[in-house]
This record gives sequence, C-alpha cells and structure tokens, in this order.
Amino acid sequence: MMVPVRCFTCGSVVGEHWEEFKQRAREGDEDPAEVLDELGVERACCRRMLVSHKDLVDIVSPYQ
Amino acid sequence: MSDQYDVTFIEQDERSAKFLVRGITPAFANGIRRAMIADVPTLSVDTVRVIENSSVMFDEQIALRLGLIPLTTPDDYRPEETVTLAIDVEGPATAYSGDLVSSDAKVQPAEEHVPIIDLKEGQRLELEADAELGYGKDHAKHQGGVAVGYRHLQRVELGDERGEFAEDDPEIIRGVIEDAGASETSRAAGDGGELVETASFDNDLGNRYPDRNVSVEDVPNAFVFDVETDGSMSVDDLVLSAVESLRTRADELEDAVQL
Repeated sequence: MMVPVRCFTCGSVVGEHWEEFKQRAREGDEDPAEVLDELGVERACCRRMLVSHKDLVDIVSPYQ
Repeated sequence: MSDQYDVTFIEQDERSAKFLVRGITPAFANGIRRAMIADVPTLSVDTVRVIENSSVMFDEQIALRLGLIPLTTPDDYRPEETVTLAIDVEGPATAYSGDLVSSDAKVQPAEEHVPIIDLKEGQRLELEADAELGYGKDHAKHQGGVAVGYRHLQRVELGDERGEFAEDDPEIIRGVIEDAGASETSRAAGDGGELVETASFDNDLGNRYPDRNVSVEDVPNAFVFDVETDGSMSVDDLVLSAVESLRTRADELEDAVQL
C-alpha cells in the first residue's frame, strides 16, 4: 500500500527515497538503475524494495 | 590475546565505514558483529495512542511503520526510559516522519522524508507515540547496525609470469586485499603491502595482473568490517558501544564465576 519503511532483508531505510525514485524513474523517463545508484541504494535487496513497489492508497481510498 | 588492536580505516562516513582490525580471533570478530546487531540499544516507537486515524491503514499498520523509523539515540538514555512523540496531519497531505514532534530535542527522526501514510481529503492522523530504548535481540526495529559484516583480509602474492597460451580464467575475489606484490618497498618495510578494495579492479585479479600467476591466501587474525547504521547513531558510537557491551558482559561473567 505505502512504500515499506525499511528493506525486508537488510533493514536499511529505503522509504525516504521512494518519492524521488517515483518521480524520476516511474513518472519521468530516467533509467531506474541509474536513479538508484544516485540515491545510494546499493544492495540488490534494497533496490527491489523500490523497483517492485506500487502505491495502492489512491486505488483503495474510494472504498473507505 | 593482546590488549592492543591495530585498526585501519579504509572508508569512513557518518553512517557507514569499512575498517581493518588486526590481532583479533575469528570468535572475537564475530562477537563484535553480533554485538553491533543485537546488543546496542536504540530508541524506537513502541506504544502508540491513536487519537484519530481515518486513513486507509489500520492503527496497527501505522504503528508498525512508526516503529521502523530510526530515531536519533543520545547515549544518556537507560533501558525502559521513554520519549513521547506526537503527530497531527490533516489531508489532503502525506504524513512524513519529519512531522513527528518529539518531547526531547535530542531525539528526532533520523530521516525526515519517510512517508508514513498518504492522507486524502477529510482524512486525519493524530496520535501520540512512546519511544522506548530497546535491544536488537528483542525486536529488529531496535537494531542500530544494518548489514554489518566482516571478511578475512586476503593477501595477494605474485607468482611467475603466466605462459603465453595459459587459460585466461578470471580470478574473482571480493573484499579488501593486502597487495604484497604491488611494491617491493612496502614489503621491505615489514608491513604486508598496500590495502586495495577489490571493487577498484572489478573484483577480478586478472584485470590487475594480466600476465602473472597470483596466489591468494587469508591473513590470519585480520578482518575487514563493513558497518552501516540506520541513522540512530554514528558508526563510531555503534562500534564503540558494541565493544563496550562485550566488555561489560565479559566482566559480569568474570564476577559471576569468581570464588
């Protein structure tokens, strides 16, 4: 629903990078790998947290 | 075991560091690693009093997210001491970790831009949270160290020239090497050689020494630690309190078994 605060595997905080990642790689047309490198998200375990995330709040909220 | 350890920093930042320690046993190296993960207490939200939560997430989910946000932990806190944090955000807006208002100025969210919950028109999140000092062995949210690990320091010795038609296999190694072959002067001076991160030659010794045979062996009792923190304290504080906690427990054991 919301982006996970931490990486499930290693526990480093990844939530803080989500909005920039979303804006640049999802809505923008930058290469996700390069954006993640620039954000300092190095390990594969942390990278997949952002790459595979989908915000669902907008989808769920009409059915409150 | 000697009382003096030789520590060399290879990389040092506020939140991450790589350093070489010589003169410790594998058991002691692992003890430090485990202490960094499990025995250094950090503050983390533990109890939440919800005043209003009309967001799309349940109270429990919000509480979990709050717990995972790292809080800066000053070293004068004792276990079971609490700090109260409050948040009040009204939609349409996103509640961020930076919106948390702390009762102690020294205890603040280490990251300000962690989204807690996206609030739509008419939704509101208002709550009070008590942060408690706790240990990583009780709950992962109290882990100060993130991805803490160590590797043996490896020494590379250069052999003879490789034959002209020898197979061109990659020689992959990772971590940090002590490069005895790089300079004759450093070997003459008695130290093992230059410390080189394997990432600097793409982890393949074949790139560094294309035409030489090389042999790689572990340096006994030398470990390269790779430490990262979640922001609740600096790497220095984390390592020092981990070592301190080991020492305290060793002293306790000594007292306990004394006749």
